[in-house]
Amino acid sequence: MTANFTLFLIAVFLGACYWGWNWPYIAKLMPVYVAAIPGLILALIQLYRDATGWESRQGEQDSGNEMDEVHDVTLDKRTELRRTISFFAWFIGGAVGVWLLGIDYAMPLLIFLYMIVEGKEKPVPTLVLTTFTYALVWGLFEYTLEMRWPSGLLFR
Amino acid sequence: MEISLVDAAIRGFLNLLHLKVFLAMLAGVSIGTFTAVAPQGLGMPLVYAIMLPIVIRWEPVTGIALLIGASSVSAICAAYLPVLFGIPGGSGSQATVLDGYPMGQRGEARRALGASFMAGGMGSIIGTLTLACAIPVAKPLIYLMGSPELFVIVLWGLSMVAVLAGRRPIKGMIAAAFGLLLATAGQQAQSGIMRFVFDEPYLLDGISISIIALALFGIPAALDLALKRLGVEQQPAPLKGKLYDGVIDTLREWWLVVRCSFIGVWVGIVPGIGSQVVDWLAYGHAAQSCKDRENFGRGDVRGVIAPECANDAKDGGDLVTTLLLGFPQGVVTALFIVALLGWGFLPGPEMIKKNADIIYSVVWIQGISGITGTLIGFVLAGQLAKLAQVRYSIMVPVIFIFVLMGAFSVTRDEADLITVVAFGILGYFMRLFGYPRPAMILGLVLGDLMERYLYRSMASYGFTWLARPGVIFLLILAATSFFFAVRSRVRSNARTMTTSTPVATS
Repeated sequence: MTANFTLFLIAVFLGACYWGWNWPYIAKLMPVYVAAIPGLILALIQLYRDATGWESRQGEQDSGNEMDEVHDVTLDKRTELRRTISFFAWFIGGAVGVWLLGIDYAMPLLIFLYMIVEGKEKPVPTLVLTTFTYALVWGLFEYTLEMRWPSGLLFR
Repeated sequence: MEISLVDAAIRGFLNLLHLKVFLAMLAGVSIGTFTAVAPQGLGMPLVYAIMLPIVIRWEPVTGIALLIGASSVSAICAAYLPVLFGIPGGSGSQATVLDGYPMGQRGEARRALGASFMAGGMGSIIGTLTLACAIPVAKPLIYLMGSPELFVIVLWGLSMVAVLAGRRPIKGMIAAAFGLLLATAGQQAQSGIMRFVFDEPYLLDGISISIIALALFGIPAALDLALKRLGVEQQPAPLKGKLYDGVIDTLREWWLVVRCSFIGVWVGIVPGIGSQVVDWLAYGHAAQSCKDRENFGRGDVRGVIAPECANDAKDGGDLVTTLLLGFPQGVVTALFIVALLGWGFLPGPEMIKKNADIIYSVVWIQGISGITGTLIGFVLAGQLAKLAQVRYSIMVPVIFIFVLMGAFSVTRDEADLITVVAFGILGYFMRLFGYPRPAMILGLVLGDLMERYLYRSMASYGFTWLARPGVIFLLILAATSFFFAVRSRVRSNARTMTTSTPVATS
């Protein structure tokens, strides 16, 4: 799987070289010479390391610090996959909801449905937070800050 | 128009004397406090990413008040999770668990928290004073710098990715290259040439760094909560003892506080050390230098004081590099630079010349927030512990809302939604496969600056800029710091291999 992600990055760097190759020097200096070509070389090295398992062998001996948070979930694979798919379904559903209904309606609806369906929360805290969300989206942003959100596709 | 530093300091303070600035600072302090005690997975990168699209629309000082207020307090209140739950807080407070949790277990949680707040407050003040003093020292040097020198400084910042990426230097450099590549999307300012636009008007101005940061950090953090479902079973250690005892302990150990605070400032200023180690460096120093050290690791209050004051002082050191040189030491300062760029400031020498009052506003806000955070910690010690048990089923949809609203508010284009989903998924895979996201953000932030300075240098001097004394000096400095950082890492690895070999063979 790690190699697949590295392959994706290789494709991105190759694409950048392909599209940028015919640009004037001033335009391609950064994207092609500074970013894409070194990135491509490094990604190929990484692909070799992924393919040979170099990193997992070396990892136990390396005492360096992690620059980023590491994926440290200890669930069984099925549960992790199910929860991950469910999470992204909610998130993408929220984005689609904003597109169709607009922020004003999609956000309170997302809170309500997530808390009831996924979180199995009781109705009272769910309704309180839903109302709070509507007050935040409409009352604070639209009414107080006069920040007009675009209407959803269904209401245009 | 340039003004004297004294005038700048006064103006910087006067900038704060507005109700909305005060309210923004209070909001930032509240957000920072919640972030520090909320379940794992939340952190300052997420808060900055969420707040960026909102605060960029505000007046600069109001936005700075919220951002600096949040990060300053977050460090001060970071001891809650280690002391009460025995789980490391954010980076910089991990060593606190070694002595903080045993203190909590034996009924001295309030004492540990009191010591942590007091040490954090003192560390924050020392860090802020260092920042304030660094400005007049740096200003004369800054007048010697032109675009070539600034280019080398940015390059220096970028080279640190290889070191900061720690265990994954190659992945860090790939992520930084990817960030650099993304930074070039859109119409090039210098030539007007369209790069990676693909006839999409949405991409004319490039992809918003705010949306990328929001998605990269917000979505994986929410997913982490949804997967682990934290905040349900955890029970805190009993909140017993006296805060006052911790204050007295800290005042009695004032010399340790001063020493460890300067360790924190040093870690913040020197590129390549990495803020993740600050607490361990301070803890190690305390454990080696203090008398009667047999209780370290078993609930010695000095094991709480040392990492906490260093962690808070580090913020001041971080800001020295960020504001005076213009390159970030980590993801939070990288996002702070994004905010400054959004307000039209160019962090680094140009900002000292043109916007010194804003830099002093940052100094004042940092100092005031530090004191406010300490007071909040003392007053609300009992109540804050309850925040750590907020359920994932509330946190996850709330993060969804801030991520979607934050992204959609940038241009209010439906393509913002596609961008946030795409980068959310990218952030998930980057985290899953160990590609450091901060490296990508560094590349993204520094890419634009790097191209700007390189273009100006080439246009003004051709290749002769490489022979400028300032450039040569800075290149030597950058190479030396890079060499020492890499050498220290190699030695550290060698030590690990030496110590692990007998265990493996026995």
